[in-house]
Amino acid sequence: MTTIFEPVAEQEEFAEARGHLHGRKDASWLRRMMPVVMSHRAMFFTAVIGSFVALVVQVQIPYVIGRAIDRSLVAKVTPLGGYIVIIAALGAGRWILNLTSRTLLLKTAYRIEYDLRTIIYQHLTRLSFSFFDRVQSGELMARSNSDVRSVQMFLATAPVILAQCAVAVVVFVQMLFVSPALALVAMSTMPLIAVFGVQVRKRLFPISWLEQSLLAQVATAADENINGIRVVKGFAAEGQQVRRMYSVARRARWVVVQDANIRARWSPFLENLPRLAQALLLLVGGWMAYDGSVSVGTLVTFNAYILMLQPPFRQLGLLLMIGQRAKASAQRIFAIVDTEPEIRDRPGSIDLIDCRGELEFDNVTFGYRRDTNVLEGFSLHLRPGETIALVGRSGSGKSTVGRLLARFYDVDEGTVRVDGVDVRRVTVASLRHHVGLVLDEPFLFSMSIRDNIAFGRPDASLADVIAAATAAEADGFVRELEHGYDTIVGERGYTLSGGQRQRIAIARTLLVDPPILVLDDATSAIDAHIEQLIHGALKEAMKNRTTIIIGHRVSTIRLADRVAVLDGGRIVATGTHTELLATEPLYGEILAAVLAEGPLGENDIEDAP
Amino acid sequence: MIGGASSGGGVWGPAGLGGGSMSGGGSVKATADGKGFAEVPAELHDGVAKILALEPEWEEPELKFSHQPADRRPLTVTRMLSMRRLAIIGMLLVLVVETASLQAGPYLIQVGLDRGVLGHDRSVLITAGVASFVAVIVTVLVSALRGAWTGRIAARAMFRLRLRVFAHLQRLSMDYYTNEKAGVILTRMMSDIQALQTLLQDGYAQFFMQFLTLLVVGGVLVHYNVELALITLVLVVPALVALSAWFRSASDRGYLSVRNAVAAVLGDLSETLQGIRVVAAYNRQKQNVIHHRNVVGEYRQANDYTARIAGIYAPTTEFIGLVGQVLILLIGGAMVRRGDLSVGVLTAFVLYIGAFFQPVQQLVQTYNMYQGGKAAMVKLRELLDTDPTVGEGVDAYDLPQVAGEIVFEDVTFGYDPSRPVLHHVDLRLRAGETVAFVGPTGAGKSTIAKLVPRFYDPTQGRVLIDGHDLRDVRLKSLRRQLGVVPQEPFLFAGSIRDNVKFARPTAGDDEVQEAIDLVGLRELVDSLPDGLDTAVHERGVSLSAGERQLIALARTFVARPRVLVLDEATSNLDLMSERKVEAALDRILEGRTAIIVAHRLTTAMRADRVIVIDEGRVVEDGTHADLLQANGPYATMFKIWAEHSLDNSAYRD
Repeated sequence: MTTIFEPVAEQEEFAEARGHLHGRKDASWLRRMMPVVMSHRAMFFTAVIGSFVALVVQVQIPYVIGRAIDRSLVAKVTPLGGYIVIIAALGAGRWILNLTSRTLLLKTAYRIEYDLRTIIYQHLTRLSFSFFDRVQSGELMARSNSDVRSVQMFLATAPVILAQCAVAVVVFVQMLFVSPALALVAMSTMPLIAVFGVQVRKRLFPISWLEQSLLAQVATAADENINGIRVVKGFAAEGQQVRRMYSVARRARWVVVQDANIRARWSPFLENLPRLAQALLLLVGGWMAYDGSVSVGTLVTFNAYILMLQPPFRQLGLLLMIGQRAKASAQRIFAIVDTEPEIRDRPGSIDLIDCRGELEFDNVTFGYRRDTNVLEGFSLHLRPGETIALVGRSGSGKSTVGRLLARFYDVDEGTVRVDGVDVRRVTVASLRHHVGLVLDEPFLFSMSIRDNIAFGRPDASLADVIAAATAAEADGFVRELEHGYDTIVGERGYTLSGGQRQRIAIARTLLVDPPILVLDDATSAIDAHIEQLIHGALKEAMKNRTTIIIGHRVSTIRLADRVAVLDGGRIVATGTHTELLATEPLYGEILAAVLAEGPLGENDIEDAP
Repeated sequence: MIGGASSGGGVWGPAGLGGGSMSGGGSVKATADGKGFAEVPAELHDGVAKILALEPEWEEPELKFSHQPADRRPLTVTRMLSMRRLAIIGMLLVLVVETASLQAGPYLIQVGLDRGVLGHDRSVLITAGVASFVAVIVTVLVSALRGAWTGRIAARAMFRLRLRVFAHLQRLSMDYYTNEKAGVILTRMMSDIQALQTLLQDGYAQFFMQFLTLLVVGGVLVHYNVELALITLVLVVPALVALSAWFRSASDRGYLSVRNAVAAVLGDLSETLQGIRVVAAYNRQKQNVIHHRNVVGEYRQANDYTARIAGIYAPTTEFIGLVGQVLILLIGGAMVRRGDLSVGVLTAFVLYIGAFFQPVQQLVQTYNMYQGGKAAMVKLRELLDTDPTVGEGVDAYDLPQVAGEIVFEDVTFGYDPSRPVLHHVDLRLRAGETVAFVGPTGAGKSTIAKLVPRFYDPTQGRVLIDGHDLRDVRLKSLRRQLGVVPQEPFLFAGSIRDNVKFARPTAGDDEVQEAIDLVGLRELVDSLPDGLDTAVHERGVSLSAGERQLIALARTFVARPRVLVLDEATSNLDLMSERKVEAALDRILEGRTAIIVAHRLTTAMRADRVIVIDEGRVVEDGTHADLLQANGPYATMFKIWAEHSLDNSAYRD
């Protein structure tokens, strides 16, 4: 339904993740991940079963070799050729089984990674501004990257390792048949695994969590430094930054050492349990063989079996450790995915269509923080097509008005209405489609200028893009660039000047052609001459649009039909420029602080064309 | 909160900024679970607390930063490890003992069975049994020692590398940060260093042990029967070498595309997070999600290719191993029939050839680590070899306290040297003068402002401060005397106080308060329950753009610069705030030089001198009144501006 409001120009080459994360937040992390794994069950189970069968085949090979030696070389009763054929056949079977199952297993792992990455990304794009006000991007980067990898690694390898350990059960049963006493000796060290399991849970899980968390802190420190490098350099604060990195990095080093210590203490212990059994077997079994109660051949077979247990055990230790890490990582991922977007479509919301552009702020109270309200009892009504200028001191809440209108935040009290409908009762996409916001800081993406202008309408034609750029007085300088509209602007568009970026941002909004326009200090970095030209275009553009202009320049305010003065979170006065100058001392104070010496003449906004 | 031992800020990142300080009211400000985002989960509280209790009390770091790298030698593994010779020998010894004790098991069993049980010698049996116990215990102890040791070495090496890379990033010039995506730079600091850590911690030790195992097993085979050993090795090794060579080249190719793909994934993610507000404002979620899926999909495909390679290599080596066993059976069987070989030795041979192949199979894993480490190494070496374009000479000297005379001598400059933005600019700003630079957008005003703190060096000509060429003095001594306020205010995570004190952390509270008063933030600060301790961060919108700009200005005031550079720093402010700031500037700037880039000509009016820049050249220079009288470009500009901004009469004096 809302898709028309969210145009998409890119060919979808990869499908959406089929699985999702289990919604029950109190369920175990594995259970929550299960639907994602199960969405690849065909591939996944083929891989797991394949590797299990390959192991069963493998168990047969030493047995046949042993028979070949006994029957062909020692007893010389059967020709060797037959055994060779069997061994070769078993080997070929194992080869093919492993070839397929290993490839499939890795592919499953990468599919799980793909799913998790895209699920997290999709969720991030749905989260509300208040989330991003709170959580730093370095933290989110770490979670959507290394944490996903650690979960993926575990989910894909665990079942195979478990399948390998299942072979241990098969081997144990086989051993019980041959010699129950020796079987018990051979398996006597296995219960010690439990000790390991407990230790791992008690120690490795917290240390893994700490390690991830400290790495995220290192990432955050680095990320912030990179983004704030202009300030760092401007104040020659490099030393201070290096010391900050030092403080975080040395904690990370400490935790890595602690982690290595714990791993070093417990993992050789686990890995060597089969070898310990082997030594026991040599002593006890050797004693029994010496007395003749078991044959040497049996001992050799048992030894071979225990040897077979070694790789799964090494893997098991690894599994338990990466399992702890994956659990910690999964919880860090869930922390993102479980954050509900605060701004979302309510049940029964309808699409806003054929918007006339009537706006009403009805007794609105709002604060970014609970303890301070930015707007308090704010009421304002705009007729369709009306242009109003909001004037107020820095921090008086002017920008907030636009953000509430586009539902970047929801009001704490009161109502914002578009065409008489509460904005919370229309779909977010349709609302934002109709509200064009030129933000005070023009953020550009490092793609071509054309793509930046077409950001809100990626399917727009080049002619439309050029038209929008022309209206925003950007066409001229864009054409002078080496690659014109195909010029890639550098990181965040920093290769352009502030005024150029603002013009691109204006063009970006004009292209969407919204019936409601909010210009939030959109021309602050543009010089007067160009601003005048843009105003010509804007005036044309604003003809049938409801527009809120936030700005400080009289030239900008002139574009408005009416001026509203904002102070203390509410409108203290509205009227024309002249009226306000006469009646509202605050207006004069805010606007014309510099003009204190002289009175205003006749040439005020009402005479403006 | 846990983690008192940390220095500065919330230990768990933004937790302190989260729901904590906001209680009651609508659902808007609460996290889903009511807890801070990055707080310790409940079930881990005890475990984490127990570990943190062991954390030492860290002292304040005493690091000095220098623009001269302390270590100019190229990065190599040996330098990174920087182990003493004795330590290397010790480590090799540990690895030899570990391999030997691992491989001793089968040998002891064979001795115990052959000579103990079959040879009817109980003492040999007991000796062999006890010896194999000892071997296991030695293995456990030595492995533990090795694990803890390599962990320590890797952690130390990574710590040093991280600081070295970070310090180098601080040295690199502005152009590096404009040309390189932030996500990519972050990758250098995080995943590349992580890859090296894995290689150092596990990779090298494993690789060495695998190599050693090959040697030991090969030696044992030769020891049992030279002829059979040579035949097997000659038949098996070439196939193995060929296969490994294929694996290596295919894997290198695959790895390269995986790396490129993952960089694209991270770059896309990072940019989305930075621009998330724009994404939401323009309903781009769907488009972006599809784009990200395509980028991650490419990454998945690159990974699938490596999956096929790894999927082929390991099972095929296994198969070659089996062919080896079959060959031994055939050839060895014939030798047994001829009576040249005992059955026992043949059995041992068949078993040992399996042991010979184990390390080869593990090569897949080790080689992946090696590749990751190698690629990271190349990238990091490249980064560390990048010289800052704005560097500090070895013989740079500290700039003495300046009066603030700034001279541009025939300065030509372009971000891309072939497209100059400034052409032959000659300028002399007298000490203590306030100079406004005006002109159309893109004329080069900001560029002039960026040359003064030496963010860039002129392509031609020079910039002097008090007669010192900027390129001859230490950057720190220069920039510490300048106060630069850029167009876009950037705040660091932390309190308002921390941000105001950023340039001079030693500043007293009274100085912070004074700065707050000067820029007119008093009212705001007093209205916040946490006052100066209110947390802000990079994109926090709880402050308006103007308020953030005011904090940036307060930060500059606390820095007490000798020369102030305001690069459109007041364009986000309303006139009243701007007026306040300017009044503050007047006070603080008494006797100091100021360079102000502005669009609002009110600023120009108040300056001692106005310089008009157009197309990278100085076109006019004089006081506001002089220039108006001259009736040149400035007068025209002012007319247009005044008509549109103010009432003309107010300025016609």
